[in-house]
Amino acid sequence: MNGHAQWVKWTAGLMLVAGAALLAGCQGSKDQGSQSTGTTPPPGKTGTATTGSTPAPGRKFVIAMSQCNLGEPWRVQMNADIEAAAKEHPEITLDKADAQNKSETQQAQVRDFIQKKVDLIIISPKESRPLTRPVGEAIDAGIPVIVLDRAIEGDKYTAFIGGDNRKIGLEAGKFINKTLGGRGNVVELRGLMTTVPAHDRHDGFMEGIKGSQIKIVADPDCQWLEPNANREMKSILSTQPQIDLVYGHNDPSAHGAYMATVQEGKGREKQIKFVGIDALPTEGVKYVKDGILTATFQYPTGGKEAIETALKILNKQPFEKKTSLGTRIFTKENVAKGGEPL
Amino acid sequence: MPETPETTPPGSAAPDGTRRRSVWELLDSYRGLIALFLVFLLGCIVTPRLRDTGLPIFLSPRTQLDLLFEYCEYGLLATGMTLVILTGGIDLSVGSVLGLCATLFALLTVGYGWAPIGAVLAVVGVGFLAGSINGILVARFGMQPFVATLAMMTAARGAAKYISGGIKVQPAAMPWYKLQQDTPHFFRWMTTALPGLGIQPASLLFLAAIILMAIVVRRTVYGRKLYAIGGNEEASRLSGVGVAWAKGLTYALCAGFAGLAGVVNACRQDIGDPEAGAGFELDAIAAVVIGGTSLAGGRGGMGFTFIGVLIIAYISKILSLKGVDIAQRMMIQGAIIAIAVLIQKRKRNGA
Repeated sequence: MNGHAQWVKWTAGLMLVAGAALLAGCQGSKDQGSQSTGTTPPPGKTGTATTGSTPAPGRKFVIAMSQCNLGEPWRVQMNADIEAAAKEHPEITLDKADAQNKSETQQAQVRDFIQKKVDLIIISPKESRPLTRPVGEAIDAGIPVIVLDRAIEGDKYTAFIGGDNRKIGLEAGKFINKTLGGRGNVVELRGLMTTVPAHDRHDGFMEGIKGSQIKIVADPDCQWLEPNANREMKSILSTQPQIDLVYGHNDPSAHGAYMATVQEGKGREKQIKFVGIDALPTEGVKYVKDGILTATFQYPTGGKEAIETALKILNKQPFEKKTSLGTRIFTKENVAKGGEPL
Repeated sequence: MPETPETTPPGSAAPDGTRRRSVWELLDSYRGLIALFLVFLLGCIVTPRLRDTGLPIFLSPRTQLDLLFEYCEYGLLATGMTLVILTGGIDLSVGSVLGLCATLFALLTVGYGWAPIGAVLAVVGVGFLAGSINGILVARFGMQPFVATLAMMTAARGAAKYISGGIKVQPAAMPWYKLQQDTPHFFRWMTTALPGLGIQPASLLFLAAIILMAIVVRRTVYGRKLYAIGGNEEASRLSGVGVAWAKGLTYALCAGFAGLAGVVNACRQDIGDPEAGAGFELDAIAAVVIGGTSLAGGRGGMGFTFIGVLIIAYISKILSLKGVDIAQRMMIQGAIIAIAVLIQKRKRNGA
């Protein structure tokens, strides 16, 4: 072996370690700041924490948050809601993690939080069963857990906060029934059929239009995806001469169908009404403002409520074990003032 | 005559005598271990401290056992992958085979009420069979390993979705499932730390597998054949080494380990997910390569792979404990793989 190659190799190796150390270092200095403010000082070590007989005021909390993925705008919104709510409470330090749509990663994150001995965990699980045990382990370790949006198996958690898709479907159905005057041809663009929300948004809708003359002329599974809705709608437009309304299980589906109608080039988008669900500021609400959607129904993220509940739990105040969130309707008339609660 | 296998600590292997062993060279032989140690040190320095004892979280035995447990599926895949890579091949199908086997294992136990042990044997058998098909395509029909296993990757994923009916297999998912309440106790046993030892049976399974394969690779005729094929396939063929059989067996073993990893996956997830293991093949290959086994074949070994798995697990755990943003994390991991291979390339040129 020649010495030169050795030298290069070792330099590269050292650079690798140095690089990693540097990165970790940058992160470290940033982290130490938040860590020291976030961690509860051990009693007696610092004067500020132990002055005064009431322990509640001045206490700092580390709240850890595991989001199942940040690929969906709705989940990005959930994190934004949590951050916004946490910002109003300086005693809270947030420790956020993105599980990248992998249950294994999310399991590991919960176990890391337990190791770090955080004060409270907020989790929006990717899947019920795989997360049930790690959440149970956190409870066993004395760490309260708030489960958001998707429930876990059994009742070994501290609080659950979630939207009610059936109610949202029902409200959408009632609105559509009223808008169409009890009769007409409706296209239903369904969410992924293997998911519970898609079933709930369908069942609720059917209940809302029960007894009317409304006919479902097509109901393809668009898997929540705009391109799929666009493709399906194109086929439906070519076979259905009369369509009065399109009900999308989410706003991107409704938007995809609208675009397909525009692309057809017959101007039918002026006669057909489009209704969606989710009402994210950047999607549904904007589409309503732009006159694309007639209405959208909010599927709340529960982010704000999660922080409120967390503070109640941490300050030993009474709280609801299960919170079912309501919905809001956004139409052209009320969109400027932030929709109307239903 | 087959090439002398380059396995871990060459201090024990007989050098050819004429070489001058410099300090550099000695250090170089333990490069993997040194890198592992440095990463370990880094972990101790940068991870947050435990509130009660003040020690770094990274140093706690719980964290160490946790990360071994988190990476035991990748470890099992990497064990099989090492065999294939030693022959100069590659197996892209292990992630899909893992998914197929996880789904099948859940279906047999939860759906049909089989005893877990019987289901494990059946599932590993199915993995072995899938691997045999890879082996036959590669060894008998001379197909490129990349292409043959790419085909299996697609087919096995399809099979996983087919047998499950497109749903995730779990109690009460179908009315006809034998188990409607809970998964068998075996699921929890595999993934719960044994009392007293503190280590999960799933982790032990990985350790047992890699130790066994380390012995097979170093001490058996089959093991020597792997290095011979990877070193120079044509020469091995001419010198009468049973190339076809050895290669076929290698792919079958690799997929067999993927089957075991599938069992671990089903137990850990508590469901049989037909989408499980997607992309795992890349992590397994990364672990093998970071350890120091050459993708060109003929150099490396199980010891290297074990170090590679630990290095990846350590880095990922450190980044996770530090709460490093996922985007940065992926960039760091990519850089580490590239640098590891770069160092290897220098080694080949320098040797």
